[in-house]
Amino acid sequence: MFEWTEEQVAVRAAVRRFVEAEVVPRVDDLEHGDLPPYDVIRAMYSSFGMDQLARERFERTLAERRASEARKAGAPAGAPLGAATAGAAPSAVRSGSARAEEPELGEPGAPAVAGADRSARRGDAGSAAMTLIPIIELCRHCPGIVTAMGVSVGLAARTIMRRGTADQMERWGRDLVTFEKIGAWAITEPGSGSDALGGMQASARPVDGGYVLNGSKTFITNGPYADTVVFYAKLDDGTGTPRRSRPVLSFVLDRGMTGFEQSAPMRKMGLHSSPTGELFLSDVHVGPDRLLGAEHEASGSDGRQSAKENFVAERAGLAAMSLGVIEQCLALSIDYAKNRMLWGKPIADFQLVQLKLAKMEVARLNVENLVFRHLEMEAAGRPMSLAEASALKLYSAQAASEVAMEAVQLMGGNGYMAEYRVEQLARDAKVFQIYAGTDEIQVTHIARELLGR
Amino acid sequence: MNVVVCVKQIPDPAAPGALDPQSHTLVREGKLILDDSDAYGVEMGLQLAGDAGEVTLVSMAPNQEVSGVRTALAMGAAKAIVVSDPALKGSDALSTAKVLAKAIERVGADLILAATESTDGYTGTTPVQVAELLGLPSVTFAKKVTVSDGKVRVERQTEAGFDEVECPMPCLVTVTAGVVEPRYPSFKGIMAAKSKPVDQLTVADLGLDASSVGAAGARQEITSVAAAEARGGGDIVVDEGDAHERIVQFLEQLKLV
Repeated sequence: MFEWTEEQVAVRAAVRRFVEAEVVPRVDDLEHGDLPPYDVIRAMYSSFGMDQLARERFERTLAERRASEARKAGAPAGAPLGAATAGAAPSAVRSGSARAEEPELGEPGAPAVAGADRSARRGDAGSAAMTLIPIIELCRHCPGIVTAMGVSVGLAARTIMRRGTADQMERWGRDLVTFEKIGAWAITEPGSGSDALGGMQASARPVDGGYVLNGSKTFITNGPYADTVVFYAKLDDGTGTPRRSRPVLSFVLDRGMTGFEQSAPMRKMGLHSSPTGELFLSDVHVGPDRLLGAEHEASGSDGRQSAKENFVAERAGLAAMSLGVIEQCLALSIDYAKNRMLWGKPIADFQLVQLKLAKMEVARLNVENLVFRHLEMEAAGRPMSLAEASALKLYSAQAASEVAMEAVQLMGGNGYMAEYRVEQLARDAKVFQIYAGTDEIQVTHIARELLGR
Repeated sequence: MNVVVCVKQIPDPAAPGALDPQSHTLVREGKLILDDSDAYGVEMGLQLAGDAGEVTLVSMAPNQEVSGVRTALAMGAAKAIVVSDPALKGSDALSTAKVLAKAIERVGADLILAATESTDGYTGTTPVQVAELLGLPSVTFAKKVTVSDGKVRVERQTEAGFDEVECPMPCLVTVTAGVVEPRYPSFKGIMAAKSKPVDQLTVADLGLDASSVGAAGARQEITSVAAAEARGGGDIVVDEGDAHERIVQFLEQLKLV
């Protein structure tokens, strides 16, 4: 694949029209925090039938899950799920002993808008593209919207759809995949970013009828507005297991639960269209019905593997986000260079300006190729390895950040002014190197595979 | 109810256009898009056709181009007839109307919708000529269209306000950009559009004589083309305490107050 298909071009044209009509006029309100992004996202979902598609996909996945649960319940000597839920430490994601750095799980990014049902996308570059094209188009103007959307659909909903029981899917998943409700995904804590799993302080203490949750989370995308929160905490069963190696459990919380507080949006460098907040839990009582992954634990499935699959989709989404930023910065820079006159001629005539444009084009080609590579691999049914996805994310994030900063530089004083739009994209793009795994964490993932460790 | 919507595929207005130096007509090679002004007719057609009926698109295009038609199919139209023929090169509005009318005859529509004018040619005469050739009544400049009891009721935009017009069906109605808000094609619709039937016909298929259409049949000729006058610099008024009066004078001149 070296270019979009005719159909994909049609999708892009339709989404671009929507973005220009519905998003661009509101970017200032979104960026100043006066307008949460959710209604715009919902408008996009309904305009393009994305909600309907998500609902249909949800019903299929739910039916499959129900059928598989019925098979298991009917099987003789089935795993005693009930017994596992209370005290016996079912773990969604076990904190690795030697892998303390695993956990950019906790990064607030997660732009994978990918549907919760991966199987429906496998072997079909077409539908993977349907996910990435809106990301690219939105990021030309407002990457924050994509982050808000991606965390809700790609992380919160996705985790519930993968780890939850049919009942849990029905209770929380349906409204999240259609974006009727807003989801957040809470791992990162004030004392742990890249070391999210190892350094986690939030605790889940087994009690009669469930657990008592305590702790606080920070940098949580959608935190201030979320209706549904996937919350990670370490099992504190009083057995004296060192904190670092305690199992990590995940729970689903609802807005307004007793003892559960959601902060107002935090002030950030950029990405203002994506509300970020803190969560505080003090003695929040939850029943076993809110624990995710009990079944996975009983069937011996590896929680870490599922987390890694999340990373891959998340990082591919980030390449698409980067492409949107780069495309827009390049287009604006070309336009500016041709029209800005200095010493009686357009600055496009100056070779130092041409160098900037050429480097932007190289970055655009490279990132576009990475996006195409991801789509091709999806079509071939061979998902990227974690290291490959990390390489893609590392390069794309750096490229987006550099291109956006160079666009500011190319426009000089004008570029530094909000009116010319590129300064916002530059501030927004910086976070690409930080969330969904910092650049430095990506390096370790790449190196680990290269060195066979 | 079955609705025919006449649609035109035009060069992307975002790309710089070019004129053929000989014929002085717009160069229409390569990819064409659905004329924005046609999206309103398509939307109106989809709403009026309802679940029981369907919308058929009728279009004339050079080079068998269909990408613009696919956009309207993605919005929900059921099928399309696209007439492409080298003999159609140089067609004027009447030639186009002859072709569209012949194509529409094959469908059997209760209602025919068209835009008031195209965004590339702006002659604004083709739809009414189509109605005349089909022997049907026509109503132009609709800002609202409703259908009941085999009649179409139209609020017809005028300079002063609007007229309420009633017309028996079948008939042809041209719609303005205010008539309805066009939907975005859904992703599903875009995927489905690829497999919807597009009937590609030639002039001969329609039973038309090639000499009656295209440059051969044209009754109009563009003799010359001049660039639009460059915009003037405007007047700069320095406020010496009387700017408000100058502004009122200016607006009075334009008959705006």
